[in-house]
Amino acid sequence: MRFDFLELPGGSSTLLRPIVPVQVEDLEDAPQLCLVDTGSTHNRFGAWLAEATGIDLSDAPESDLAVGGLLTKACHARAELTIGGTRYDAPVTFCDPWPFAFHLLGQEGFLRFFRVELCAAEAWLKVELEAEFKAELNSLHT
Amino acid sequence: MQFTIAGHVFELDTAGVERLIEGVLPDPVREHYVVVRGRRFPPKQVLVAVTGLDRADFTTHQARRILMRLGFLAARKGRETPNAEVSDQDLLPGGDGPHGGRQAAALEPYVGQWVALGEPTEVLVAADSPQDVLAWLSRHGKQATGMFYVPADLADAEGAAPA
Repeated sequence: MRFDFLELPGGSSTLLRPIVPVQVEDLEDAPQLCLVDTGSTHNRFGAWLAEATGIDLSDAPESDLAVGGLLTKACHARAELTIGGTRYDAPVTFCDPWPFAFHLLGQEGFLRFFRVELCAAEAWLKVELEAEFKAELNSLHT
Repeated sequence: MQFTIAGHVFELDTAGVERLIEGVLPDPVREHYVVVRGRRFPPKQVLVAVTGLDRADFTTHQARRILMRLGFLAARKGRETPNAEVSDQDLLPGGDGPHGGRQAAALEPYVGQWVALGEPTEVLVAADSPQDVLAWLSRHGKQATGMFYVPADLADAEGAAPA
């Protein structure tokens, strides 16, 4: 799947962000635009999304996490994510507070499963399911 | 300024309309819209909000005419329009990016808000919280292509890398 970068107003120039629309659980009406962050070890989502989708965090392991210079409470859970028609179960860290514009797609939970080709010069990225993971998903569904 | 609508006389002014519409989420724009403080509303929605009249009490044309007299920009989605009106294209500057800067221009009025996009340059709804956006989409049976917070500054736009 190919996705255009998102154009953001940035004063004198347009800011371009590599984003991927992600359906979280059954929130079909509102795919979340997530920033591809190769430096992030895990997926980091705003905690409001867990509440909105009915993910119970009451028993989820917690830790303090420093994100972008901000200390946030992180609840480590799992969520069903759908990217380009592929639905899979992924580890997600739900963070509160989360004052950032986007959720983050990181290594575990995204880059481990999808191969990403990124062209900043033309402002697009391609996301392709890893063959090994595709076979794993197929075996689960048969 | 005094207007007679459906037999009722109303005293309306620009600041009053802006104040009354401040906390109102815009309904989906089908064709015509007016811009109130950077947000696009169906003209009828604005007039209902400020007069308390029923939508059936007046036409879209009446609503547009009244709001234009009050100084609000009236336009039509994706069409050339005459006189004081403008089309979407007039509102959008050229620029970089996959949409030539049009997407950034469409998002500019919504800095600091949560938005849901329809088409790449179409903001379906903007609100102060993600919950309000979700509720609006559900209420109107609308499907967004993406939802996010329009960053208020560069730090937000840059995202966040875990330390």
